[in-house]
Amino acid sequence: MLMANEQGMGRHSSLRNSTSVPKDGMELTKDQIDRQIACHECDALLDLKPLTKGQRAVCPRCGGLIQVARDDHLTRALAFAISGLLLLPIANAYPFLGFERGGLENMFRLPQAAQILFQNDAQFLGIIILVLIVVLPAVLLALVLGLVIPLIRGRNAPWLIPAGRLLYGMNTWNMVEVFVLGVIVSLVKIMKLATVVIGISFWAYIGFALCLIGAISHLDRLSVWQAIDRVSSR
Amino acid sequence: MSFPAGTAAARDLASCHTCWKLVAVGSPRCPRCNARVHLRAHDCVTRTVALLITATILYIPANLLPIMTTETLGVSQDSTIMGGVVLFWKMGSYPIAGIIFFASVMIPVGKMLALFALSWSVWRKRATQRHQRTVLYRITEFVGKWSMIDVFVVAVMVALIRLGGVLTIQPGIAALAFAGVVAFTMVAAQGFDSRLIWDAGAGEDE
Ligand SMILES: [Zn+2]
Ligand SMILES: [Zn+2]
Repeated sequence: MLMANEQGMGRHSSLRNSTSVPKDGMELTKDQIDRQIACHECDALLDLKPLTKGQRAVCPRCGGLIQVARDDHLTRALAFAISGLLLLPIANAYPFLGFERGGLENMFRLPQAAQILFQNDAQFLGIIILVLIVVLPAVLLALVLGLVIPLIRGRNAPWLIPAGRLLYGMNTWNMVEVFVLGVIVSLVKIMKLATVVIGISFWAYIGFALCLIGAISHLDRLSVWQAIDRVSSR
Repeated sequence: MSFPAGTAAARDLASCHTCWKLVAVGSPRCPRCNARVHLRAHDCVTRTVALLITATILYIPANLLPIMTTETLGVSQDSTIMGGVVLFWKMGSYPIAGIIFFASVMIPVGKMLALFALSWSVWRKRATQRHQRTVLYRITEFVGKWSMIDVFVVAVMVALIRLGGVLTIQPGIAALAFAGVVAFTMVAAQGFDSRLIWDAGAGEDE
């Protein structure tokens, strides 16, 4: 069954708009090339068809996702990003975790955690926390805002293209949700040794992580690049 | 090199890796996003295998050496990744034992085996089970970063305990080795070109 599907790209042409796919061997014009796309997972040449809201385009050959047309994807991404922007200072400037002893709280803030690790012969853990947990998520949020705001206003901006490249390139290393689960596991571990105080920044960071993931998940790659095309050709 | 009919490559079109725009083969950069355009990352199998071998070698010290050393009143105690899993299991913290076992053992081992198998199948130009192999590749790409959990756990524990000052926890060399395993397997998975799975056997009947 799967085999038939694999070979049968021609036979299954009804899945694509076969009328506008020229036969192999014929030269494609620039216009035709611009109206087509190759599946990034299997390289099937497909027609780009405008999607209506809520529709998703899936590659008929490998099942890979080509495009999702979300309702107001840019506005929703902006809403998530702004919420994230409000939570970010709280997540970094307020106490994250700590202990309470004799009525006194001894807490650390998230950037301080990197500093404590640095000063205690755990430099590489300090770097991991600083880069992956403090800096990278803030940069990703800035990239989302830098992309979404000009695109919503329909204006071109000189940083749109580099921002698009950086956002999709760096998002693979976005580990905010892994860190949150890691903190929860550590809390369970350490609760057996001592009473841990959970600071406001812990909750703010969870909120920030959800907002960042929410914002990026609304930015469908192909739709964003098409939007960049539209504003830059103006 | 011939490509299966119906692919962009068969029509001398390359797809930009960053923005997916179609570009005529031969143009060095994408006209939309200015990224470098390659038809296929042909040396990717060699690169993936080299990265995987590095990750496999690092995985040995990551498991044998202590991931952290706890010191209470002058008595120091080393704990390895599996030691931690066993300890939590014995203490009855089954969900934690399960999470750590899954993130530190199942995911990295499964991911390395899967990428070795995928590289082998592409190298041998196998033309069967393309859908299954594509799904396997998608899974390895998706789950990779979750292995970092144990490294984050060690980081949070060390920072917290240092703050408390009752006992000390020293991160072990295994934490560094393990972070290396995760990074190398992630780069290996990203560098693997899944289109090679679909290129094999062009023009042949399966
Ligand atoms: Zn495909
Ligand atoms: Zn491009």
